[in-house]
Amino acid sequence: MKKNDIVFGSIFIALGIFIFTQTFFYPSLEKGHPGPGLFPNLLAILFIIFGGVLILKARRPSATGGEEGASPTHKKVTNAFFVLGIIIVYVVAVDKVGFLVTSAVLLFVLMFKLGAPALRSAISSICITLFINIMFLKILRVPLPPGILGW
Amino acid sequence: MKSVLQGFALLFNFKVIVVIMLSSIYGLFVGAMPGLTATMAAALLIPFTFFMDPVPALVSVVTMSAMAIFAGDIPAALIRIPGTPSSAAYTQDSFELTKQGKAEMVLGADVFFSCLGGLLGAVILMTSAPILAEFAMTFTTFEYFWLAAMGLSATVMVSAGSQIKGALSMFLGLFLSTVGVDITLGLPRFTFGSVELLNGVNFIPAMIGLFGVSEVIRSVMGGELAYPITRVRTGHIFRGMWGLFRKYQVNFWRSGMIGTFIGILPGAGADIAAWVAYAASKRFSKEPEKYGKGSIEAIIDSGTANNSCLAGDWVPALVFGIPGDSITAIVIGVLFMKGLRPGPMIFEQQPEILYAVYMAFILANLLMIPFGWLAIKCSSQMLRVPRNILMPGILMFCIVGSFAINNTVFDVGIMLLMGIAGYFLEDNGFPVAPVVLGLVLGPLVEKNFMMSVIKADWNLAQFFTRTGSAVLCILTIIIWFFPLYMALLQKVKKSGKSSK
Repeated sequence: MKKNDIVFGSIFIALGIFIFTQTFFYPSLEKGHPGPGLFPNLLAILFIIFGGVLILKARRPSATGGEEGASPTHKKVTNAFFVLGIIIVYVVAVDKVGFLVTSAVLLFVLMFKLGAPALRSAISSICITLFINIMFLKILRVPLPPGILGW
Repeated sequence: MKSVLQGFALLFNFKVIVVIMLSSIYGLFVGAMPGLTATMAAALLIPFTFFMDPVPALVSVVTMSAMAIFAGDIPAALIRIPGTPSSAAYTQDSFELTKQGKAEMVLGADVFFSCLGGLLGAVILMTSAPILAEFAMTFTTFEYFWLAAMGLSATVMVSAGSQIKGALSMFLGLFLSTVGVDITLGLPRFTFGSVELLNGVNFIPAMIGLFGVSEVIRSVMGGELAYPITRVRTGHIFRGMWGLFRKYQVNFWRSGMIGTFIGILPGAGADIAAWVAYAASKRFSKEPEKYGKGSIEAIIDSGTANNSCLAGDWVPALVFGIPGDSITAIVIGVLFMKGLRPGPMIFEQQPEILYAVYMAFILANLLMIPFGWLAIKCSSQMLRVPRNILMPGILMFCIVGSFAINNTVFDVGIMLLMGIAGYFLEDNGFPVAPVVLGLVLGPLVEKNFMMSVIKADWNLAQFFTRTGSAVLCILTIIIWFFPLYMALLQKVKKSGKSSK
């Protein structure tokens, strides 16, 4: 927990410095009053101060500060990456293959991967896909990518 | 009177009634599923509301949130896991009573007092909002700047856990709100040459990422995939409720007031209302030793408070356009995108929308009795829905919802990034709600500040000398010093104890 606080504090300080590098060349309003850069700069200062306080507090040993619980297992981390991968594959595939096929296939893959039985995964993924399709396409009339198959 | 009737007409048409029914079922289901919060339900609901008219959109959020906050009590009583954070305060008490064979009474009290609390909150909303709106008519950019600053301060002060982390979360939201074309010179800020970012970080996919995708990641990273469900009798859940009400009348009024007040406070939501009401309940109880071991008093108090809080949250949202909690923050974000600006002008120009919202609150809470009864009857089936089916389904809704708003893959990317960020933030004790409030309030703070200083030719004194702004400024400063005061109070108490 504490180590992570130092990491997060550093990230926020880095973000603050990054903001400064971006706002440095922002123009000011007439008579030299601060303009577009004012709020980002203010936030940059706050990021650096609060990030610093976070680090200082994390370094100080405290009575309550125990180490965090068991780290997630290898399998669980894979699951998380799987979820992120699914989103990316979806984005790439949906325009070419179409909404119905992409959604149903990816849903099935993810359900199966998370340990649901194959038949149940298949039925659920088809039902959910059809449900979303009806909701968006028919009721809300929002177009979803039809893909090469036209559906 | 004419607008009251118009409000009625807006609410009681076939389409809106269907929306209310569906939102109720949706809210009950999401609320009763551990790990799915009411805020997440709101985030997933916005792609749908985005394509609706304002009235059904608002009504669906009202109904959904009322049902979800009540339904969070069900798994608390049955499997000792709160369905939403708002039921966490009295989960222990609920489950202990269930173990003592009193599940019928607990669940009955959950529905009954959620409904009454919600109705009380609605009445306070209806009476206080127009008065405050009259007041708000005199507000200029100076006052709106302070209001937004006050909202931001309150968000940090009440954020669970470390206030430094709460503040950093909020700054992150504020920073994200600066992305896009700047309001003074039209300069693109932090867009890195991207055309899509010129309009800023799209609010809807950001919310879906923060509250939906992060929850899916958390769920697959750990947590139970199935729960052991206690079988309980739920035959006559409403038996003896009137007796309970008569016995604990004082508790009901007190907690209803506490809940609504905390709701009105910008940034504080139903979970905090429940905790504060629980603490107050224990403080004034004749049987404080029962708390944590199964006290029905605790359940009545916090159960009333978290539902009355919901209506309170809408007071600052409707009157000032300052969100009362993360759900109303989402609502305001959606209204902005639809070109509706919540604030005192709505009271003059579109009062029928307000009356529709008021009536939706009353209706949603009355519907809670039959719908809540049904939900309790079906609770063990609901809790048996396998999570390895549910979570992929939610992920698909997240993706399609983010995509559908602008029909662009770019928004799915935003959803993905915010989902990852939300997961890591929450996992390390950074609350996520302040990010949303920062994102919604950021433009308000900046715009009102810049407009004020340009109007006053950089004479900052006006921020303190106008009557309205002076009062709001003092209130904001009081909020800043509140934790200091609390710390001092603790110190005095401690030294008092040790000297005895």
